[in-house]
Formats: sequence, structure tokens, C-alpha cells
Amino acid sequence: MKTSVLDGPPRRNLVFVLPGLILYCAFIFLPILSAVGLSFTSWNGLSAPRWVGLGNYIQLFGDARFFTALKNNAILMLFYCVLPLILGMGLASAVSAIRPRERLAVRTLLFMPYIMPSAVIGVVWQWLYNPAFGPINQGLKAIGLGVLAVPWLGDFNWALPAVGMVAVWYYFGFCMVIFLTGLQRLDPSIFEAARIDGAGPAYVFRRITFPLLLPEVRIVLLLTIIASIKSFDLIFTMTRGGPANATLVPNIYMYDLGFQLSRYGYGATVAIIGAILVFAVNYAVHRFLKPRDGA
Amino acid sequence: MTKYSICLPALRRGAVSFGLGAGLLASAAAAEDLPVWHNYSYDGEIEVIKALMDRFEEAHPEVDLIRTQRSFDDLALTLRLAVSAGDGPVVTKVNQGAKDMGAMVAEDMLIPMDGYISEYGWDEQQSQSLMDRDRWSEDGQFGEGTTYGISSLAEVVGVYYNEAVLEEAGVALPLESFEDFLAALETLKGEGVTPMAMGMATGHLGLHLMAAVAQAHIDASHRAELDDLIYGRGGSWKTDANLKAAELMQTWSTEGYFFDGYQGIGGTDAVQLFVAGQAGFMTSGTWYFGDLQSNPDIHFMPMPAPEGVEQPMAVGGVDLAWAITSLAEDEATQDLAAEFINDMVSPAAAEVWAAGGYLPAAPLPEGSEVELSALLTEGIEAWTSLNAADAIGHYPDWSTPTMLTTIDDNMALLMAGRQSPEEYVDIIDADYQAYLAAK
Repeated sequence: MKTSVLDGPPRRNLVFVLPGLILYCAFIFLPILSAVGLSFTSWNGLSAPRWVGLGNYIQLFGDARFFTALKNNAILMLFYCVLPLILGMGLASAVSAIRPRERLAVRTLLFMPYIMPSAVIGVVWQWLYNPAFGPINQGLKAIGLGVLAVPWLGDFNWALPAVGMVAVWYYFGFCMVIFLTGLQRLDPSIFEAARIDGAGPAYVFRRITFPLLLPEVRIVLLLTIIASIKSFDLIFTMTRGGPANATLVPNIYMYDLGFQLSRYGYGATVAIIGAILVFAVNYAVHRFLKPRDGA
Repeated sequence: MTKYSICLPALRRGAVSFGLGAGLLASAAAAEDLPVWHNYSYDGEIEVIKALMDRFEEAHPEVDLIRTQRSFDDLALTLRLAVSAGDGPVVTKVNQGAKDMGAMVAEDMLIPMDGYISEYGWDEQQSQSLMDRDRWSEDGQFGEGTTYGISSLAEVVGVYYNEAVLEEAGVALPLESFEDFLAALETLKGEGVTPMAMGMATGHLGLHLMAAVAQAHIDASHRAELDDLIYGRGGSWKTDANLKAAELMQTWSTEGYFFDGYQGIGGTDAVQLFVAGQAGFMTSGTWYFGDLQSNPDIHFMPMPAPEGVEQPMAVGGVDLAWAITSLAEDEATQDLAAEFINDMVSPAAAEVWAAGGYLPAAPLPEGSEVELSALLTEGIEAWTSLNAADAIGHYPDWSTPTMLTTIDDNMALLMAGRQSPEEYVDIIDADYQAYLAAK
């Protein structure tokens, strides 16, 4: 029998994975290790780092700004994960019912926001939200709803939802495409049988469609939760965490600590805790959101 | 066997070509790169700095200036890291104060400039109190000791007013006192005109207005208290002047003296709205002269004196300083960098800045025939009278490395009515006292 060169002993095959391994170590693993090391120091970016042990971590758990950032991030998850998921699933159901040619056009149109760079989207929406000449407030005033024309990104109550709605707009098309793919995977005969048995649309969705789409729901949740905890560019371009920390999230806080206040050690601590949060939340999604067959 | 003969003409041509090539290479090697970073970001400023740098290159054909333009924030963000990585500028603009210049001096990242100051006579063009802003002592004391920079432009934060808007609203000019200024705001509001241009989403218009009001309540004869505070010698931000300014800011915000939705409008947008005649007043610095001179109705004056203050202080001083970084390793490079800076702060450069509508720190050359805009003429008058009275104040954010962030965060709360003026002043003072304790 002809054997592949890859069937050799692992140490021989090491050479094949070596380029990838070197890149991974250089650009991912070593920086992570450096960040972990840095989080145990006080470093201004110029002089030699000073070892502070767990000092940064102890300080972080008493830091009101950090908890504000975490609270804002938790609220943003609603906009990054839950609303795009609901909207995406609803639109996927609607779009899957139309004819293939129209479906392609509508799907492409709704997916468009997701292919744009999020920093560009942030700049564009900042302009759209501008209270002086942005079209949103101009439109509201033109139809007699001037009372609703608030300074979206400068208002303590509205800044976070305003940024969040941009995230909804950015991610709902992506969720819809994933769910459309999932719907195409399902056997139409199941739905036919349900219809013959007299099941209504709501019942079909609750007992058949949603359970069968759980693998897609899990993927969507994993990716959008990671995106929400990683959120930086949209917020940086729209509010930079303001007004007065109303849209501050851990990554913006980390940036401020490092690059504005030259507290790189403490900033690394925020980064490490953020990474641990990503792992913890994703583990929870993996653990608790499983299809019945355990797939 | 092949016979080879020497072709003399070809050899000669080759030798000439080689010589020419070598000569070109030699001249390329002799050209010296001088990386220069600056923060001139408005259109008018960019035009002037480009013209000045082109002129330097023409006079020094052996030097290639490598110009990098950064915004104020981006310069602060990248400068220290770039210099520490060995990949930054040889000549740079650097913000005075503890956060930037102070940190760089502490790490020996800037070259002392006192020798060049004597050599080029810069101290004859700019007063000692202005040059104090670029001084740091060996034990980290701001405002004294070795000099690490010198600036091209003077700055005064004052009151811009739109004469046409004010006259139409029935405001009598000139405004003689702070009380007149407050009355003018009332009149404008009563006429349905936005009294003051403001945008808080980006920039620091709020900080400038508040600092201008606070420092106008300090008589120049009592400036030592403010100097001590800014130079980190001690003191307290809990003063009547700061409290009064905080109270006014909150009142103006909650009672609609600024643009509708000003919290979501950027500083630059607010300036453009002011240029378009959308407000009666705007308080900011002379760095906007170049942009504001497009509207001839716009004029400039220092913040007028409140009752009981004979000579009010005005926030200001000089723009970011030109400095030589530690990347200028040898004396020849340092000398070249100093020569470049001398060109940038010379009376001849002052003339180019003035022609562009900007307020130079150095005096114009004697007999200069440069045509000054009306706005610049008013700026020069303000600068001259304030200097004569030793009434040029300070930017509050220079006082600690974290003060800018503290002010930005808390001013938004103050103006939204979520923080009382007393709380605001307490927080600012707490930032300062923490810095003093950690020094």
C-alpha cells in the first residue's frame, strides 16, 4: 500500500507545521505571554518595568471605571448578539420563502453592511447621528418629531444604545446568512408533515425550526459574543468611550490606560481579564447551548 | 584564439560614466535626512509649515526634511514610543507639561537647548516667562532649570464674537467687562440666537471656555498662585474662580446657551457653525485665526475683566514646542536640528505665519510689510497688552499627566447636571493632590 509522507513519525512532520508554528508563536503566543508578564508590572512604556506582583489585579477589582466598562459591555452584548440573532432569524425565515433570484438579491443587499470596514461604518454613523446636520435629526425635525432629535452620541442615556444599534445594523446580515444556510440544510418534508398535522407557524418555529437551527445559533452566538467583548473600532470612531465613560468598554479602557496614560502594565491586566472573559463566556455557550444529539 | 584589443574611446566613456555615477552616489550619500514631526493640522497651518520647510530645503540642498504630520492627540500617542523605539523624529513638536515633555525629559529623550538659545539669541525674541514653559529641572520640577524647547506661535484663548450677529440682536459693542459679556449672552438668548458655539464630542472647546472664565477671575498681580499650581509646586484647585467657572458652565449648559445637541457635535464642526454665523460667541484660541478669517464679521478679544479684577489673566502661552530628540545622536545632527528650529522660530518665519493669519511668538522683522488680517491685528493687540501686563495664563491640563482625561470625563458630567460644581472642583483637585503625592 502506498503511504503518504505525512504518515511518518511526528518529529519528521514537524517541518511541515514549522512555518505556521513560527508565525503563530511570533505574532500570537509570544505577545500573549508578554501581556501576561506585563500585567504583573508597572511600566510607563519608556523606563524599565517594575514588578508589582498581583498589585494590578487587586487594583483592577476595586476600579469603578473597569466595572463601568464591564457593565457597558454586558449591555452591548444585547446589541451585538441578541438583537442581530432575532432579526437575522426572522429575516432568514422571510427571505427563504421568496423565489431564488429575488432571494439572492435581498440576501446580498442585507449582507452588505457586514463587508464594510467597521471603522468606516463608525465614521459614517457618527456623521448620520450628528445633531447639527446629521440626516437622522434633520429627518426627525422635518416630520415634526424634533423632540426625539437628541444628541445621540453625546447623551448619557442614548450614547450606548446609539452605538449598539450600529452594531445591530452591522451584524444582522451576517446572522441572516448563517440562518439561511441552516434553513437550506433542513429537510422540507419535516415542515410538510407538520403542516399536514395542523401545526401553525409559531408552533412549527418553536418546536421544529428553532431546535433544528441550534448549531447555527451556537455559531452565531460564539462569533457575536467574541465580537462584542472585542468591541473597539466602532466605539473608538464614534465616541472614544464618552461622554464621561458612558460607552466605555474594556478594550477602550485598555487603550486609554496604555496609550493615553502610559500605564501599560495596568492596561495589560485589563487585556488579560478581557481574554479570560471571552473564554469563560464562550465556554458557557459551548456547555449550555448544545443540540440534543450533542453535536 | 580570440584577440582582445583596448578600445580607448569606449574606456573613456566608461570612465566618465563611472565617475558620474560615483559622483551622484556620493552626493546622495552626503544628503542628510532630517525627520521632522509636527502637529499643524488645519489647512492654513499646513500651508505655512510646508512653505517654511520648502524654504529651509532650498537654503540647505544637502538636507532632506522628512515631514510627518500628526494631530495633537496622535502626536502625544506616538511620539514617546517612536523615540524610545529609535524610529522617531530628530526634530519634533512636543506638548509642554508633565504628560509629554516632562515624561520625555525624565527619560533623557530630549536634548537640552540652552546652548542653542544663547547661540541663536532666541531669548531675545521670547520672554523668560514664555520660555519657562519649556523648562524642567533635574529633579523633575516644571517651569525651572534646563530648557528643552521653543515655540513658533503665540496662543491666547479669548472670545471670538460675530459682530453682525451681535448687532442684529441689539448687543452694544465693545464689551467692557465680564458683566457686559454675561448681559450680551442674555440678550442673544432672548433674541433666539445661540449665545455660544460649543461642541463637546471631540476637541476641547469646553475646557478652553471654562479655563478662560476661571483665569479671567484671577488678577495678574496674583498670578503666582496659578503658576505654582501649574508648575507642580503646590496649591489647590478649590478656588472661588474655578467654582464660579464651573457654576457658569453648568448654568449655560442646562439653560440652553450652547448649540442644541452640543454634546454630540465635534469641536471642529462647532467652529464651522460659528463661522457660518450660527452663534454670537465662541471661546477658543488664536490657532483658529487662519480658519475664522474667512468671515470678516468675526473679531477677537481677551475675556473681559470681572468686577474687582483690574488685569484679568488669559489662558495661553505658546503652541507646542519644537524640540530635539535623543535620536540626534551626534553633535552635527543636533546642530542641524537646531539650525532648522532657528529657521522655524525666526522673525522671517514669523512673517510667513503672520501672512497666513497666525499669531507668531517671535516679533515680525523691522519694516515688515506683511499685510495682517483684521483678526490677526486684534490678536497681536491682545497678545501685546497681555504680555505687557504679565497676564498670560496657563492650560490647566499641563498640571498633571492625567488632568486632561479627568477634566474631559468630569466636565461632561458637570454640564449634564450629573455633578455639582463643588464635586467637579473637588475631583480636579483630588487629581492634582494625588499627582503631588506621587511626585
